[in-house]
Amino acid sequence: MKLLRGLAFFLACTAYATEPDDFLDQLDTALTIAAFHDNLRLRLSGTIDLEGYHLQQPAPGLIDSRIDNLFNPRLTLFLDAQMGSQIYFFAQSRLDRGFDPSDHGAQVRLDEYALRITPWEDGRFTLQVGKFATVVGNFVPRHLSWDNPFINAPLVYENITAISDKAAPASPQDFVGSFEADAKYEFNPVIWGPSYATGISVSGRLGRFDYAAEMKNSALSSRPESWSATETDFDHPSFNARLGFRPNQIWNFGFSASDGAYFRPEAEPTLPRGRGIGDFRELVLGQDASFAWHHLQVWAEFYEARFEVPQVGDADTFAYYFEAKYKFTPQLFGALRWNQQLFGNINSGVGGKARWGQDLGRIDVAAGYRFTPHTQLKLQYSYQQQTTGPRDTNHLLAAQFTVRF
Amino acid sequence: MHLRVLVSVSAICIFAPNSGLAEAIVEGRVNLPKSHAPPPVMAKRYEIVTNGGVLATKPPLAVVYLDGSFPTATSHSIKQVAQKDLAFLPPLLPVQIGTTVEFPNLDDTYHNIFSYSPAKRFDLGRYRPEERPIPSVVFDVAGLVTLRCDIHEHMRGLILVLNTPYFVITDESGRFRLSGLPAGHYTLKAWIDSKTTREQPVELKSGATLRTDFP
Repeated sequence: MKLLRGLAFFLACTAYATEPDDFLDQLDTALTIAAFHDNLRLRLSGTIDLEGYHLQQPAPGLIDSRIDNLFNPRLTLFLDAQMGSQIYFFAQSRLDRGFDPSDHGAQVRLDEYALRITPWEDGRFTLQVGKFATVVGNFVPRHLSWDNPFINAPLVYENITAISDKAAPASPQDFVGSFEADAKYEFNPVIWGPSYATGISVSGRLGRFDYAAEMKNSALSSRPESWSATETDFDHPSFNARLGFRPNQIWNFGFSASDGAYFRPEAEPTLPRGRGIGDFRELVLGQDASFAWHHLQVWAEFYEARFEVPQVGDADTFAYYFEAKYKFTPQLFGALRWNQQLFGNINSGVGGKARWGQDLGRIDVAAGYRFTPHTQLKLQYSYQQQTTGPRDTNHLLAAQFTVRF
Repeated sequence: MHLRVLVSVSAICIFAPNSGLAEAIVEGRVNLPKSHAPPPVMAKRYEIVTNGGVLATKPPLAVVYLDGSFPTATSHSIKQVAQKDLAFLPPLLPVQIGTTVEFPNLDDTYHNIFSYSPAKRFDLGRYRPEERPIPSVVFDVAGLVTLRCDIHEHMRGLILVLNTPYFVITDESGRFRLSGLPAGHYTLKAWIDSKTTREQPVELKSGATLRTDFP
């Protein structure tokens, strides 16, 4: 009750905090410092997210909660530093209940840090080293709470599959039969969120084309614990790339590809004799498109993924989504997203074929209101249904209040 | 060339709707804040393609204007605030109520200019450099309007909407000269930032130049 009262008071305050030089603008200025005749500039910024979920068990996506009403606060701090015109550094740290929403205790993480060197003014080449989001696809630029029209990620970034990077299955039956939808962190999605793995990237623009390629220490499906260089070395790196084509500012098309070993070191004893982690790979092909015109933005991504599974063979899946956001007024926007993931067949091990996951579709509807340039409220409803197998359904209601500073 | 005209127009922007009465001159100096905010740092975390470059600095400036009861503008005035090198140009633009301000995009990327200021709430959506007609907004309420870009978080610009046709932007040292003024008793104001406006009563005489400083 106190929390609700406090939130209501804060909302009332923010509704009137529209003075252009309000407190958060002043804070923004205060948290920007410069030295050496402005050639070194640092800015500390961040967001405070207060998220609430009313969910149906098993919790959908990567929400790891056994309780139906989950409160998931998050403090995110960013450091951006520009040194001259060619060197840029950024870092992102979070204090929350886990990388994905969970009912666990608080933890602090350094999620991203990277040094970027841009030798030429025209942006033809950029080199980046550190721990940072993948170059694959077009979701990454809007994955943070302030920019994402929704509270969660598209299905392909959070729908766990029967793939587990912790242990190899003993048989096809074991592969499909051991999957438990509520054992979140035992399994992996095709792409785990923005995949803040560690590595090096090159990127740039050549006319209407842009390119990006990276070598990371773990595959796209790898869990957040695997992204750190202290946890996973570069013995089995993942190679990811995206080629983009922008005929004009309205349209943007991209083709992505990824190839990386997805097992963690602790899975090694469970692998077939004579085989190593590097023998079992996640291969992903992706196509993305985006459209932006005045108050309308549309995004779409299509992913074809293949996991090489011990004792099973190739496990294929296809996932896609269409997403649209429209600003009805300067402060009110709505968003709609249709997601689907389809699973291929594997050899059942008893002479036939078996689907290795249940096809499912999900529709996400969201509305957002920006009270000020620094405060935003989003509400979301999601309905998910399996289209094969038991045809389970799942409803999710979520709210997220964000303060950006 | 187009930009140079823009800057010079905004720097010496003086309106004289009734030249028959506009004879007095007031000049002086505004004591500007010595320390200024450092130039912004652009967040480039998730941009695959980033250009180099140091964003322009923004020295403090003030707007000096004659407050009083003046007739509203009879001619439709059009001004411009461009987006160039991911910054607003000019960063501060005083206009009279009723002025239309165009927002041409001179970068080779999208911009999405918006404001939630009480004096004017608007959102122009995403638009290209070649967008025609140039997106524009009529400013019909006096007050300070903070301009932002929904795509480039670091961008900030200001439009000061005034109910007087007599105003000028100081130079970087705070000096100003406001000419073509009507004779009479008025209040001369110096807007320095959103929280600081200084004022002084002035008596303007036809053909005379009044020297007034804002310490």
